[in-house]
This record gives sequence, structure tokens and C-alpha cells, in this order.
Amino acid sequence: MNLINHPQRLEHLTSAYALGSLRGGARRRFEALAREHASVRAAALVWQTRLAGMNELQALSVPDPAVWIRIHNVLEGEKEAAIVRSQRGAALPPTDAQGFFGEWLRSLLLWRGAAAAGALATVLAVVTGLNLRAELGVEVQALQAKLLATPQIQYVAVLADDKSAASILVTFDANSQKLTLQRVGTYQEAGDKSLQLWALPSAGGPRSLGVLGHDPLLRLTAGSGDIREVPTLAVSLEPKGGVPSAGGPTGPVLFTGTLIQKML
Amino acid sequence: MNTDPHDLELIDLLDRVAAQDHVALKALYDRCASKLFGLALRVVGNREWAEDVLQESFLSIWRSAGDYRASLSPPMAWLGLIVRSRGLDFLRRRTTSRSHLTQELDDGMAETLEGNSPCPMDTAQASEQAMALHQCLGRLDNRQREVVSLAYIRDLSHSELSLQLKLPLGTVKTWIRRGLDQLRQCMSHFA
Repeated sequence: MNLINHPQRLEHLTSAYALGSLRGGARRRFEALAREHASVRAAALVWQTRLAGMNELQALSVPDPAVWIRIHNVLEGEKEAAIVRSQRGAALPPTDAQGFFGEWLRSLLLWRGAAAAGALATVLAVVTGLNLRAELGVEVQALQAKLLATPQIQYVAVLADDKSAASILVTFDANSQKLTLQRVGTYQEAGDKSLQLWALPSAGGPRSLGVLGHDPLLRLTAGSGDIREVPTLAVSLEPKGGVPSAGGPTGPVLFTGTLIQKML
Repeated sequence: MNTDPHDLELIDLLDRVAAQDHVALKALYDRCASKLFGLALRVVGNREWAEDVLQESFLSIWRSAGDYRASLSPPMAWLGLIVRSRGLDFLRRRTTSRSHLTQELDDGMAETLEGNSPCPMDTAQASEQAMALHQCLGRLDNRQREVVSLAYIRDLSHSELSLQLKLPLGTVKTWIRRGLDQLRQCMSHFA
């Protein structure tokens, strides 16, 4: 049967094709016909368009808010990875002072472009300072980008040693009440020692927030009250397992840093 | 001429998303997520999967918003096609085990097939072409409408529908044929 001469039959096949219920050999024959005749293609397009309205007629349903957070995090992760890639490409080991400065300037410009938020000037200053330590610069920037990008993080601190080298990044998410500590320096305590994190409130003595394990990433639980109105965090070297909070640190304070409330 | 303010707003947002504007993507999400999640839910049949589909859809939108204008479609129609095809991809990935064929019917669907409750259709944010389809679908009886709608939304063949809806194959074929016949007559008035 020549379908082109049977408009009603053709119309029926076209609607079944667009609906998807035309299968197998019949579907392949229809596709061959459409390739041959522009009018059949056009009719198929009309039916596909008509039936696509079905997509718009479904009942509304509110998705869990976590879905947007997941989308946001994927996109931020991609953005961040792009920054790190371009940094890595630019970050050849500096051979002289001029090369070093050039690299620093490039990464500064890149960073400025990526950050685009004047309110973060404080953190930017920290980041550009960290860039002076070339081997840490890329890594720390990537982490900083992540810290800045993730919406739940409300407090950020960079704990540095007495030579101002960044050693630990601390973030606090008030929603989940989680402190996250990330080691970024090369410091490694001896096997019989532990690092202990302290809050140094403006009034009263130091309060222990927890003891660090040997993993590069550590999560501790802390109430918002423990973090809010604490200007400074410190890490001391203690006997393995740490010491009771009440007595305060017993060993040397290795790293300190100011807690910055994230403004975005 | 399309002067629908909602459409114009969505088109503007899609243009900005094409220029990689994160704020515009969030605005688009805020305006369309519930509508599109409803669709994703209908394609895949449970909330957890639908959330994955919605996420993948918005990542697709982020990457392909630049193609929107060339589609010459109303914005919701274009967004809906993306969500449906991400949903179908999702089902295909799971269908290595053919699990969705034996999957139980969603409650709402089973009720509609009883033939007495109206199909839960929602014209909120629907484009003009969808409104026309809505009018024509309204003339079908509930079971026919549900079978035609399910065939399209889940891209199911006659035999898959018969299996999922626990209806004889002949009944499914008849309902689809009659449903399409009626849609053809009705839609021709809008052409």
C-alpha cells in the first residue's frame, strides 16, 4: 500500500510513531518513508510537538531542597576543578624571583576572576599570602574555593604555624554542627603524640573541641555555641589521645588562626 | 506572537544560563523545579529516582541552554523534553535487569485505571500547545487517557503497557488506537 496516497492511514501511523507505540518493522518502514518525504517528516514533527505537551501536564510536586544543593555542588566542583587545572598548567616550578612573581600574579588574576566577591577580601588576602608558598598555593586555593563555594559553611579558619605557613584548614557548618579539619601542611606528629584543637574564647579559658587523628581529613561535632563568638582556634601538641578540656593545653601550641564568619 | 510574560521570563533565564550565569540557573530552578519534578516522578515512578533525574536534567540544562533558541519551542516544552529524556535514560540504565517492567504500579495510576477518578493533569505553567492537548485529552475516557499518557511519558510498547497495567494486550491496543483517533480529530481543530 502506498501510504502517501492514504492520508488517513498515514496520519494514524504518524501519531502512533510520535506516541512511541509504533514499534519494530512498522517503525522502521515509517522512518524510511519520512526520510524520503519531507511532508511525512513535517507531519511527524507536528505530532511530536503536540504530544510533547503531555510533559507539561503532570501534577506539580515539590522536590527535596537537597536536590538543588547537589546540583549546586556539582557545578561548583566543576568550576573549582577548572581553576585547579588552569593553575596546574601555569604552576611550573619557579626558577628565579621574576618567574615566581609572574606565577603569583597569574594565579592572583585567576583567583580574582573566579572569586568575584568583594566581601571576601579578607579571605583573598589570606589566599594570596599563601600563594607565596608555591608548593601549597594550588592546593590551598582549591580548598579555599571549595570552602567559599559550599553554601552551608559558615565559619572558616586557616591555622598557621609560627612562620605563617598554613597547616590546617578548619570549616564549621552550623546546620550539621560539623567541624571539618583538613591538614594542608607537612607537619606530622610523632606516634606517641596527638594534636588537639582548642577554642580560645575572648572570655574564659581554652575549651577543647577534639583530638585530631592521623587522617588528612577529620570531622568533629561541635555545637554552634562552641564556635560562635570564638575569635581564635589553636592546635596544641599533647600526649596521645589528648588531655581533658578543663586543664587547658599542656603541650606547645603549634598552630593558631582567626575564625572568619563567611559572609555569602 | 508569543508575549506570555512567563515564557519571556523563562527565555531570558535560559539565555543567561547559556552564558553560564549561576544565578539565572537558580532562578530557573526556583520557577520550574516543582513542575519538572512532577514530570520526573511520573516517568520513573518514585521520588528518590526522580530526584536523580531532576539533578541530571538541570545539569543538562546548564550545558545545553545554548541550544534552546534553535529548538523554536516554548520554554516549558523544551525543559519538559529534557526531563523526560533524562528520565527515560535513567529507566533504561536500570532496565538491564528489566526491573521496571515488573515494578508495581504507582497508587495514583492504579486508581485512575479503575476508571472513576479523573486523571491528575495540571495546566500550571503549561504552554499553549499543551493547553490544546489538555482540552483534547479531556474528551477521552479516563482509562484511555491514562494508557495514552503512560505510553508517551514512559515510552512503553503495547506489550509493556499490558504487562505493567495487567490488562490484556488487545485491550491496550484498542484503547491506544481509539485514544489516538480521538486526539487526531480533536487536535486538528487547533492546527
